[in-house]
Amino acid sequence: MEKLDLSDIQGLVARGYGKLRAARFLLLRTEDPGLARSWLAGLAPTITPSDEDPRETAIHIAFTTTGLRALGLPEEAMSGFSNEFREGMTTPHRQRILGDAGENDPASWRWGGPDNARVDAVLMLYAVNEDALAALLGTHAEALEAAKIEVVTPLHTTDIGNGEHFGFRDGISQPTVEGMGRDGPSPSVIKPGEFVLGYKNEYGLLTDRPLVPPASDPGGLLAKDSGGSKSRDFGRNGTYLVIRTIEQNVPRFWQSLDGLSRGPQNEPDAAARLRLGAKMVGRWPGGAPLALSPDHDDPALSTANAFGYHPGDAEGLRCPVGAHVRRTNPRDSLDPNPGSQASLRLNRRHRILRRGRAYGPPISVEDAISGNDAGEERGLHFICLAANIARQFEFIQHTWANNPKFDGLYDEVDPLMGPRGPRGATFAMPANPVRERVQGLPEFVTTRGGAYFFLPGTSALRYLASLS
Amino acid sequence: MATTHQVAITIVAPIVPASLERLQATLVEMSANPGTSILPFSQFNGVHFARLVIIPPIAGAATRSRSSLAFLLDCDAPERERLRQLVTTAGEGLDAVLGCCEGYPAVGARSGRSRMAYLRSHLRPLAACYVNTIGRPLKQIQQEATLRLELEQFLDGKKNAWSGKPATSVRGDILAFVQGRQDLRWALQPAPKPSLFWRVGEWLHLARGLLIVLAAVPFALMAAPFVIVALRRRELSDAADRLIPEDSHVEELAAVEDLLPQNQFTAIGEVKPGRFRQLVARTVLWLVNLGTRHIYNRGVLTGVKSIHAARWVFLDDYRQMVFSSNYDGSLENYMDDFIDKVSWGLNAVFSNGVGYPRTNWLVREGATDEQAFKSYIRTRQKLSEVWYTAYGQLTTLNIANNARIRAGLHGQLTEAAAAAWLRTL
Repeated sequence: MEKLDLSDIQGLVARGYGKLRAARFLLLRTEDPGLARSWLAGLAPTITPSDEDPRETAIHIAFTTTGLRALGLPEEAMSGFSNEFREGMTTPHRQRILGDAGENDPASWRWGGPDNARVDAVLMLYAVNEDALAALLGTHAEALEAAKIEVVTPLHTTDIGNGEHFGFRDGISQPTVEGMGRDGPSPSVIKPGEFVLGYKNEYGLLTDRPLVPPASDPGGLLAKDSGGSKSRDFGRNGTYLVIRTIEQNVPRFWQSLDGLSRGPQNEPDAAARLRLGAKMVGRWPGGAPLALSPDHDDPALSTANAFGYHPGDAEGLRCPVGAHVRRTNPRDSLDPNPGSQASLRLNRRHRILRRGRAYGPPISVEDAISGNDAGEERGLHFICLAANIARQFEFIQHTWANNPKFDGLYDEVDPLMGPRGPRGATFAMPANPVRERVQGLPEFVTTRGGAYFFLPGTSALRYLASLS
Repeated sequence: MATTHQVAITIVAPIVPASLERLQATLVEMSANPGTSILPFSQFNGVHFARLVIIPPIAGAATRSRSSLAFLLDCDAPERERLRQLVTTAGEGLDAVLGCCEGYPAVGARSGRSRMAYLRSHLRPLAACYVNTIGRPLKQIQQEATLRLELEQFLDGKKNAWSGKPATSVRGDILAFVQGRQDLRWALQPAPKPSLFWRVGEWLHLARGLLIVLAAVPFALMAAPFVIVALRRRELSDAADRLIPEDSHVEELAAVEDLLPQNQFTAIGEVKPGRFRQLVARTVLWLVNLGTRHIYNRGVLTGVKSIHAARWVFLDDYRQMVFSSNYDGSLENYMDDFIDKVSWGLNAVFSNGVGYPRTNWLVREGATDEQAFKSYIRTRQKLSEVWYTAYGQLTTLNIANNARIRAGLHGQLTEAAAAAWLRTL
């Protein structure tokens, strides 16, 4: 097992701070490189490392390409970053990969789109409660102002417990990073190089990483390139961070399900409605997976994660093939040889660490159906970490979630978040003797913003601050 | 009995340098409507896929300094019928495209006969060819897709009518529906089978191939020590280039990717200098072709199911190799499939190309150097100026499932078999 340099890896890789219930993410634009570097020099020692489990507050910082260039990162480093990071989230091809068309088009985003203010960095602040967060924000606001760094958009979050706004428990299936000191079921233990640069990934290789000339690092802050060149490794202990602001239309979700699950006399059927929602998600609201508990929620299985789909549910009679959790983590479902170790090995190459937070006020199913809603926007700041955006985050989004052809299907997309065609989405639930199929599902989510960031290791932060 | 197999037609012609820009403009116009304009592939019989690619010359080679046009067709046999239809119904389109190439009949000399002669004289032999499922003609694919849509709609209309009913009785209702539809009755007959004549020909081809392999064994054994030494010497010294593709190159390629569930891929590589690598590449591809023609001809290419059709062609006296394919899903997924499922096969072929990631004993490592391999793929990839697919919304798995749906309409089924069949819908 490789030993991880936990004190140099930002702590967001190691944990999602479930106990730090309050959080705000500040999207920043720098003006004065010199002032920004001094600000970063002051910030770097306060960044929470992976070997600390903070009880009060946590602070993280990540940069876009414009941010790194503004701070003066040598241009040589740029070719070592992935093409996805260099190009950003909003190219026409990436829009197709991510399903950002129509309502989701970056042209109408609130942040990160072509018509929005430039985003150079994101400062992520976590605290044990709202009061502590307010204090933390106060301190940082002063420092930012002094450094002439503008808060382009603050991303607010809301503590809605361990679920998401549609009402389902979230964040159950997380990969365990080998060497991060946590245990998990063996198929979920993933090589650290899948989530941190500078370590071996699931192919037993080092992911490409940004290197800088040694002359730019006279203080020797960065490690030498483990590939053997004279360059210094700016990427080591860093990783990529994806943020996407996804509005959730909860009333539309439950009203659609209500309409589709009504009885023969058009009477509401709460049990059928709940079942349809669970079929779409692949887990019951409490978290129990349909693959293990096909007919009802089960508190004993609320965090169950050690299961597969083969041979017990190969055809999706329990958890439909097109369900959200089966698409985004197919486990042992896919070729080669579904149900085999080879299938699990393939799945391990397409995992992400999710660190998202909800925003906006929660709403009950009853209020969502009756339309008793003040109209305030709600949703998810989807956040994930991955060493290879194309093979991990984009692959899950495009080849699995948004793919109408996923695992032999014809014309279905992820029922929760897949992009809809002009006639809405189709969702089939295999059953005996014939499948049930619902059609015309409207969009339940809308992308409102997003960007790709790089989350450097702490010595790389000190290096950035030392540039001139 | 019928002609059901497919053929891959490759026409390569050098482009008159002064006409290159005109040709490029023509191809841009074509690519806006690839099924209908200039060469209207959708109006021809039996064309599954078509593409036109401008092949640049090998950099720095003195032998060939000009670009060539490659015109590739994946279509139903027989080849002469396909060519005849091109010449008789799209003569002007051929003139617009091939008129930019060397030796094409002059304006006054263009006739069906002279165009056909030009096509025939520029046909290139394939080094190897792959078809996902040999013996499934275009018409069958399209008909069976329609059948599935009709049956799905029929099921939607019967919501809840069958709950608790045995599968055989549901199947009976579906059969009655098909029987009642004049336009679907064809589905009650099994799909056409290849002719006995063709099958005998295939058996003879396989027998001949195996005989050649057997006959070559003693020579191969004798040559083995020398070949191994030569191979190892080269493997250990050949440079793997690790070029990072230019962002602008990736952008150009990505601009036409993921517009449909299917995608196209064309790569052009330079074979490593010297006769040894050429010989290895030719031998391996000869074996690949034997395998794809006789073993991997039923939906799976050594674990990879997403490829509809692919081919390898040598150009310029084996100095250049062109690979083209039609596949389902994203390039990222396609490359992952290669790495995860068939890296040994790729290595054996492509490690004879300049810059390929280092292999070990011809088949090991190489493609499993994930990012080096993906960079190699992108740097060698060439934009297909024109690409046409007859069924861009259907994946190989869809097509195979559609065939199962039709097959389930025939004969008697047990309750279990009927239940399994209903699951295909």
